[in-house]
Amino acid sequence: MSANDTHPHHPAGRRPRISAGTARYLGAFRTPRGMIGGGLLLVMLLAALLAPVIFPGGVDMQTRENFQPPSLIHPFGTDEYGRDIFVRCIYALRISLSLVLVAVPLAMALGILMGLSGAVSRRLGEVCQRIFDIILGFPSLVLGICIVVAIGAGWLALAITILVFSLPQFGRLARGALLTEQTREYVLAAQVLGVPKRKVMTRHILPNTLDPLLVQASLSMIAGIFAEAALSIVGLGIQPPTPSLGTLLNVGIRYVYAQPMYTAGPIIMLLLLALAFNLIADALNAAVLNAKRT
Amino acid sequence: MLHFLAKRLPSVALMLVVTAVIAFLLPRLGGGDPAQVVAGSDATAEQVQAIREQMGLDRPLPVQFAEWVGQVATGDLGTSLISNRPVAQLIGARLGSTLELAVTATALMIVMGLGLGILAGITRKGAPRALLDGAISVLLATPPHVTGLILILIFGITWRLMPITGEVSVFDDPVRGFSYLIMPAFALALPQAAMIARLVDARMAQVRQEEFVDLAVAKGVPPRRILLSHVLRNSLGTAVIATGIRIGEILAGAVVIEAIFARQGLGMLAVTSISSRDYEVVQIIVLFAVVIAVLVHFASEILLAALDPRIRLDG
Amino acid sequence: MADDILLSVRDLSVEFGSAQQPLRVLHDVSFDVARGRILGIVGESGSGKSMTAKSVMGMLPEGGRVTGGDISLAGRSLVGLPERELRRLRGHDLAMVFQDPQAALNPVKTVGWQIEEALTVHGMSARDARARALELLRQVGIPDPESRIDEYPHQFSGGMRQRVVIAIALANSAPLIIADEPTTALDVTIQAQVLRLLVELRARLGVTVIMITHDMGVVAELCDDVIVMYGGRVVERGAVADIFDAPQHPYTRALLRSMPQIGGDRLSRLPAIPGATPDLSHLPPGCAFHPRCALAEEVCRRTVPALSPIPERPQSEAACHVAQREGRLPPEPAERGEVDAAAGRSFGRAPILQLEDLRVDFGSRRRLLRREPPFYAVDGVSLEVFPGETVGLVGESGCGKTTVSRAVVGVNPLSGGRILVDGRDVTAFDDAAAAHVRKTVQYVFQDPYASLNPRLTIRQILSEALEQRGLPAAEREAECQRLMEMVGLDRGYLGRYPRAFSGGQRQRIGIARALAVEPRVLICDEPVSALDVSIQAQVINILADLRDRLGLALLFIAHDLAVVRHLSDRVAVMYLGRIVEEGPAEEIYARPRHPYTAALMSSTPRPRPDPGAMGRKTVLGGDPPDPRNPPSGCRFRTRCPIGPLVHPERRICIETDPALAGDGRHRAACHFSGEAARLAEETKT
Repeated sequence: MSANDTHPHHPAGRRPRISAGTARYLGAFRTPRGMIGGGLLLVMLLAALLAPVIFPGGVDMQTRENFQPPSLIHPFGTDEYGRDIFVRCIYALRISLSLVLVAVPLAMALGILMGLSGAVSRRLGEVCQRIFDIILGFPSLVLGICIVVAIGAGWLALAITILVFSLPQFGRLARGALLTEQTREYVLAAQVLGVPKRKVMTRHILPNTLDPLLVQASLSMIAGIFAEAALSIVGLGIQPPTPSLGTLLNVGIRYVYAQPMYTAGPIIMLLLLALAFNLIADALNAAVLNAKRT
Repeated sequence: MLHFLAKRLPSVALMLVVTAVIAFLLPRLGGGDPAQVVAGSDATAEQVQAIREQMGLDRPLPVQFAEWVGQVATGDLGTSLISNRPVAQLIGARLGSTLELAVTATALMIVMGLGLGILAGITRKGAPRALLDGAISVLLATPPHVTGLILILIFGITWRLMPITGEVSVFDDPVRGFSYLIMPAFALALPQAAMIARLVDARMAQVRQEEFVDLAVAKGVPPRRILLSHVLRNSLGTAVIATGIRIGEILAGAVVIEAIFARQGLGMLAVTSISSRDYEVVQIIVLFAVVIAVLVHFASEILLAALDPRIRLDG
Repeated sequence: MADDILLSVRDLSVEFGSAQQPLRVLHDVSFDVARGRILGIVGESGSGKSMTAKSVMGMLPEGGRVTGGDISLAGRSLVGLPERELRRLRGHDLAMVFQDPQAALNPVKTVGWQIEEALTVHGMSARDARARALELLRQVGIPDPESRIDEYPHQFSGGMRQRVVIAIALANSAPLIIADEPTTALDVTIQAQVLRLLVELRARLGVTVIMITHDMGVVAELCDDVIVMYGGRVVERGAVADIFDAPQHPYTRALLRSMPQIGGDRLSRLPAIPGATPDLSHLPPGCAFHPRCALAEEVCRRTVPALSPIPERPQSEAACHVAQREGRLPPEPAERGEVDAAAGRSFGRAPILQLEDLRVDFGSRRRLLRREPPFYAVDGVSLEVFPGETVGLVGESGCGKTTVSRAVVGVNPLSGGRILVDGRDVTAFDDAAAAHVRKTVQYVFQDPYASLNPRLTIRQILSEALEQRGLPAAEREAECQRLMEMVGLDRGYLGRYPRAFSGGQRQRIGIARALAVEPRVLICDEPVSALDVSIQAQVINILADLRDRLGLALLFIAHDLAVVRHLSDRVAVMYLGRIVEEGPAEEIYARPRHPYTAALMSSTPRPRPDPGAMGRKTVLGGDPPDPRNPPSGCRFRTRCPIGPLVHPERRICIETDPALAGDGRHRAACHFSGEAARLAEETKT
């Protein structure tokens, strides 16, 4: 982002804003951490999406023998019915990824709205903060239990649980950013110039809010993936026989002596997902800090 | 001090009220008509209606709520509609197991959290720093159930050092009791300890930058004393608050950990009760979990206030 | 100079960073401090003055190391001394006073504990330490030390805390005290208290002091000797009287000239130093000052001049090729700015900005059960600004001056009074009124680093403002370029982001943005207080030029009386939410009619060597009262040097709130306004 690469005759100069903002986030993926994390995530996303194509036998394809040890054909071995655990793990990714890719962006959007609502009405902002306090006051799994009781175990309950407990993180970050940005002199300057409130919001406040929120989004994805596992392990999430990382563990732990890979396989998947999102969060964080420093 | 507590009180009260409302509503949200459950599936509509009136279910919700709160406050926790046993009795039978787990895990969390945090806080550079940083990051990112499963795979399956399921009360047989307790307690405590360690470490780094630490150096104060009287003393508040919040998470984490390690505690009771739609039990467990979490948090704020003269004397 | 040298620093070099890519922050720094004298180390940000102090204390930040030279205290070398030994010296033979008294005390320990710690770590018993701590508190002028010794730092005001820090420094009767900008974070009246305390302590205890500061006034009034630092080097060294009389380094001379004066002739333009203070990682080759120096020659660009005595003035040493060759520093091409002609400037008849009995209520938040009583940060302020006129609004932090200015532009809501802009009542601040204010009144902010959005290019920042003026998109580019030229910046810079600019340049961009809507009033809120001294003059000159060229009215808010005097036609002085004196600038500075104004002027350090100055100053005691709970009657009476504190019979000050009164345009809110001028007179002689 050197100073002279913009067009000298560009009238209003809107172009560099877009490129500067997004280039920064994209730049995060050009660092080693970003590349590994992004690559890992991409591979798992593709595997999950294309699972029916890659494994045409489907999730219930049975081999002749149950509890086969890991081999080249069955990297994680087979389960109590002789089904390939690796294939089931790949299918399980579909649940995990679909949950967080739906719930977390929704939580982020809602969190930003609620967090920034203080700019419209002070009272509304306060109310939203109280809501966040209450959600955070609940230990996270207790919250999940209440939601499961209310709407019944399943994908929807999990998605709502993930949404609800990642909401306060986004909301508080957005509000924190709003409070600091609102008193920034450049925001006051825009106000004194008479720039309409909505434009002050989108041009000056929102972009500066986005930095911490994107990092938080990556971290919330990890929390969401683990939350699915936690609730499904105890039978309050996805219900067997649908394979999710949690349901696999739910059954797998019963056969842990006969087939340790039944437990280890899903855990490897969980840790790989966590690693991918963690690396992405790290890379984004570094990019954000870097941009702030220079 | 009183002023500070008075300021905090409304939010504590709000939290308790909201929890009570949610717990109260749980059986109603869960679907199924309690009167129908009590009456049995072959009861006539009139019978069900009679039972409904007898249970007070036909009255307005606020009245039912007030009555329920009154009952719970006086120690009447209700009766399970499924097993027909008093909820207090059901919970009492499981309380010991969960308490053993939670207390052990909390103790481990505090010791490991503060230990790791302070260790990281005084290790500012070099390979040890990177090692500590990495360890804390990994522990932080791995939730209790995954930690627990990994512990099982390593110590229970690969090395066969520890029993992986079941339990014995430590009061009956301390040695065997602890051998059953140690893995679940570690699994519960590690991620929370890492969280505390990260916060303590960050706070210590921040305090170190303060000018009063420079002034202490300029006074000729030896490093150990600077660490204790200036850096650690000013990081205590963070540690206290962090611990207060994490105790609630330990209680919640017990639900999953008990399932994984097949311990017959309250968490297990909650899970089986949800599956059997025994919501009268679930509501009390939820209520207790949140109330304890809120009260522990409030207690940690009182402690914080007592530690900080700015709040103690003015706030 | 006395022969008894306490501290001697020779060719000290300090580096940061890796051995492969070292960043050298100090280059061959040498100076001596004689016993019982006060040495001033003066410089701007990045000059290395604080790093010098830290090196002497052996307290370099992590990664810093002494790579050459020596520091010796009373003949004992400190460089390479093991940490244990250094620790024994710190606090015992060498003590330090820090900049920010809010941060320098441990918030969870009593002040007594913190003083006693300084004693017990050097071997004193706890009981003796307690007695000594009490004695020290008394010595630094803390009233009622017996009860205050067990209080916590937050129960002390800023000035009192700095006294505690000084007490800690004195604890072991260390022969050398290093004070690192000890008054920069304090208001001018509190600064005067602390400086006077230092002078008294020196007289009483004979301590030697190294005073690190950016303020030439503090050096002139307090120090015996001075070293001037620039770009990590000592550029000039000598006795204060000599250097202020005839500086031999172009930087010292330019710095002294570029400062606005609180006394003497008022110049129409300040002789500004061009350019910006250099970044230590990109020091210019040769003499670091050459890019900004009017006398620079080829040799200055190539070789670093050595610090050595100037042939014709052997008592001072300067690192300047030209001065050494010529025998003394030759006069600069443009010698002196002309005396202000502005006395004859005429202003419009009708006020462009009119504030009537303005009240701004802060912090009356609704609590759970009760509503807190209102607290007026601004309580009944009336002020008029005429077209083309500059009104200076002066006061210490917390007096409400910024609140007033922000209320005018609608950032702070009003709770009483009226605002008229160009004759139109805009108090309601509805859409129409807001639009009227926006195009008439604009604002220049204090912090040039916070007032530009780091994500937008300068072109975008200016275009946003032009858009508000309603300029069609096609014409904005040309207008952006015109604005840049107006504030003296290259139009090629338009595509850059704010981070590419120095503080002074950013402040110019802030001015350009404000001017983009072609306002008629510019409110400048401390526009130069965040800038280095050598940059301030540039910005002040640009403001003055633009004002004259565009016929702007300025409402200039500042705490620095010299800057206000330089620019203002009229001055209003605020204290605790009220205007206490108002009138034509020359009259107020010549004959103040409110004791607070007199005390402010007296407290402001003047860059003119004057060993007795500290003794003559009118130094206000105590601290400004809590604005939530203002005193009865005259709000200033609790600190007033002519009020009931000194004249107990003056009950009127306690009972009656004085109104702003006086003949003609010079008005003051004081029952005894005739006596104020005498206070100011006493200081000058």
